[in-house]
Amino acid sequence: MSHQRVSRRRMGIALLVVFLMAGLLVTRLVDVQVVRAAELKEQSADIRTTSEVIWAARGSIVDSFGNDLATDVDRYDVSADPRKVGDFRRDGEVITVPAAMAEIALITDANPDELLYAVNRDREAHFTFLVKSVSPEDRQALRDLRNPWLQMDLVRERTYPFGAVTANLTGMLGTDEPLAGVERKYDPCLRAINGTATYQKGADGIRLPGTTQLVEQPIHGGDVRLTIDSDLQWYVLQTLAEHGSNLGAQYGSAMVVRVDDGHVLAAVDWPTFDPNDFSNAPVEFLGARSLSSPYEPGSIMKSVGIAMLIDGGYTYSEDRIVAPGFYEVYPGQYIKNFLVADNRQLTTAGVLQTSSNTGISVLADRMPKAEATRYLHDFGFGEITGIDFLGESSGQVLPVDRVDALTRYNQFFGQGISVTAAQMASSYQTLANDGVRVPLRLVDGCMTSEGDYVPEPVGEPVQVVSASAAQQTVRMMETVVTQGALRNTLEIPGYRVAAKTGTAEIANSEGYGGDRVISLAGMAPAEDPEYVVLVSFYKPQTSRVSSAAAPAFHEILSHVLKHYRVAPSSEPAVLPPLTW
Amino acid sequence: MTALAQSPAGAQKARAVTPTRQKTKANAVPKLRYIVVLLAGIFGILGGQLLLSIAVSGGAYEIASLKSDLRGSQQEQQIVGEEISALVAPDTLATLAGSMGMVPDNNPAYIRVSDGAIVGEALPAEASANGQVFAVTAGTESLVPPRIVEDVFLTISTAAALEADVVDALAPPSDEAEFAETTMSVVSTVSVSETPAPRFGGSIPSPVTR
Repeated sequence: MSHQRVSRRRMGIALLVVFLMAGLLVTRLVDVQVVRAAELKEQSADIRTTSEVIWAARGSIVDSFGNDLATDVDRYDVSADPRKVGDFRRDGEVITVPAAMAEIALITDANPDELLYAVNRDREAHFTFLVKSVSPEDRQALRDLRNPWLQMDLVRERTYPFGAVTANLTGMLGTDEPLAGVERKYDPCLRAINGTATYQKGADGIRLPGTTQLVEQPIHGGDVRLTIDSDLQWYVLQTLAEHGSNLGAQYGSAMVVRVDDGHVLAAVDWPTFDPNDFSNAPVEFLGARSLSSPYEPGSIMKSVGIAMLIDGGYTYSEDRIVAPGFYEVYPGQYIKNFLVADNRQLTTAGVLQTSSNTGISVLADRMPKAEATRYLHDFGFGEITGIDFLGESSGQVLPVDRVDALTRYNQFFGQGISVTAAQMASSYQTLANDGVRVPLRLVDGCMTSEGDYVPEPVGEPVQVVSASAAQQTVRMMETVVTQGALRNTLEIPGYRVAAKTGTAEIANSEGYGGDRVISLAGMAPAEDPEYVVLVSFYKPQTSRVSSAAAPAFHEILSHVLKHYRVAPSSEPAVLPPLTW
Repeated sequence: MTALAQSPAGAQKARAVTPTRQKTKANAVPKLRYIVVLLAGIFGILGGQLLLSIAVSGGAYEIASLKSDLRGSQQEQQIVGEEISALVAPDTLATLAGSMGMVPDNNPAYIRVSDGAIVGEALPAEASANGQVFAVTAGTESLVPPRIVEDVFLTISTAAALEADVVDALAPPSDEAEFAETTMSVVSTVSVSETPAPRFGGSIPSPVTR
């Protein structure tokens, strides 16, 4: 009987304890799961979850052969926490701080004293940079030092492997955004958007399987393909540098254009800058002057003017005129020639060959000024070229009502009109291409990261002058090379070359001063032109006549013919007479 | 009576109980089997799950190590890519060609394959047209050639020095033509056998016809 009572009491106590325990657990459960649930959840996620940036690469700018002109590379910033910097043991050997710094300096070509100073300047600081943008190779060497306080963080950096060669076109990247050129204009194609992902990791730093969540997909940038041939671009730049510095010129520009499709194979500005390190480069050298700086082109415009006159039916190659020594525009205002000052019996071809200002004025008088202005616009002057470069200048063609009595004639020999080197090259492309202007092209297209090629829209070709007018003009330009004063410099053995020289006076606040722009524009092979070359030097000091630009033009054109394996001319030239 | 009456009832009870007990005993063996199967199943599943998750975790370690391998390979590819870019840069090629004594010649002639005729006028290159590379940035760049370029320069200049040594070691020849011939043959032998293999591949760069 008492046995039973005792066991029943025990049972009671046990039950009570069980209930109490269960009660406690339930309370705790409610507390954890309901009352503090949100807070705790957040804490735990914070502890376990790591978010990572998934780097997306900015697209490259490539030349027509696919060589990288601008590309993203991995670099590492080396840093340390000065509070943790101290001696450490490696293979039982104690490495002191100065010794460690010497090791780092040896790999990264840094100054060990500066590294020591960076750490010792403030030993309480939490962070100090030691060396910035270290290559992956050096980073591996640094890791092999097994230095416990050395930190290395990935950064993406823009490099331009060919340096200054295409800097004027590619532009450069600043710390936050592209600053100029194709980098900026084609940023929508090139731009990359970094992604993010979160994952949970265990105590050993290994991510827990199945916990990775892509928060944002990284979007890699596309590649922009240029029409530029960087080997040719380099050669042209070297030639400009050599001759430009010999001439003491302020700057020089040159262009090489393929005639049949208007592709710009080289667009060069000298001096230029190194986009990898442009902090010390003068601002005026940071752009593409061949596209952004208009100038009065001078006599190279005469070829265009004569093509206009022939197409309008006002003259022809063998047309006979008398070029006076002085051409009186109105009483007291004369147009004079650069060299000769007497009445000469010239043909139209002779006017171009001798670059007679008075001769072309006689011819220009036959064309109404409104018609001339319309032709100039058709040639593409006064509007930006098909390149549509960032900051490209449209130059200036005066509206008809502002073309005064003098400008009417001046325009035909390249004064009173301002053009860019690109527009001038485009007009010569028109002459070379039987009068059809194919809009110039610098960017061929964008290869998206998905592998779709999006070509840049192709501009509509324009028949500016008749094929006959263009061909006659090219024949006349051949006489400049075969019979002009520069024949020894300009002739290329085996090839027929057509070219025109130009010396333009640079306008300043007091009219035209002594400074000049000297230019040469031309094409080869003349019987069926394939390439157009334009060279100009701004404010040359040692020689101010257009002949000074001839050696550079000759070198570039010869190189183009060799570089593209152009077959030598086989037909002999039949050229118009120059005098009568 | 009561006993009698009770007895059958008791007997009935006993009878009623006995079959139940017998039933329980008869069912006991299959029940145990169920439990064992159930428990085995549960443990089997748990064990399987454990093994699976171990395998998955092991996979995670493998993925982590493969990912770091991939990263390493990508980095290596980038390093090599940067070296190639540095070597194919026109500046580098021109300087290397110049250091080998090559000069640019803009006046080549062509052989027409159809009839073997020579078209164009071949003119020898001017010696003055040396492979000098001009500065193009008005001196504002900080030119530090990449290490690989320096290495290749070193290789080439070592080879050139070696050639010079071999040429110097020869007795001064009496005949100038003979000297030129000897030099040529020595140079070609040296460049074939003694030149250390350049780092970037070893084959002689050939022109690409575009």
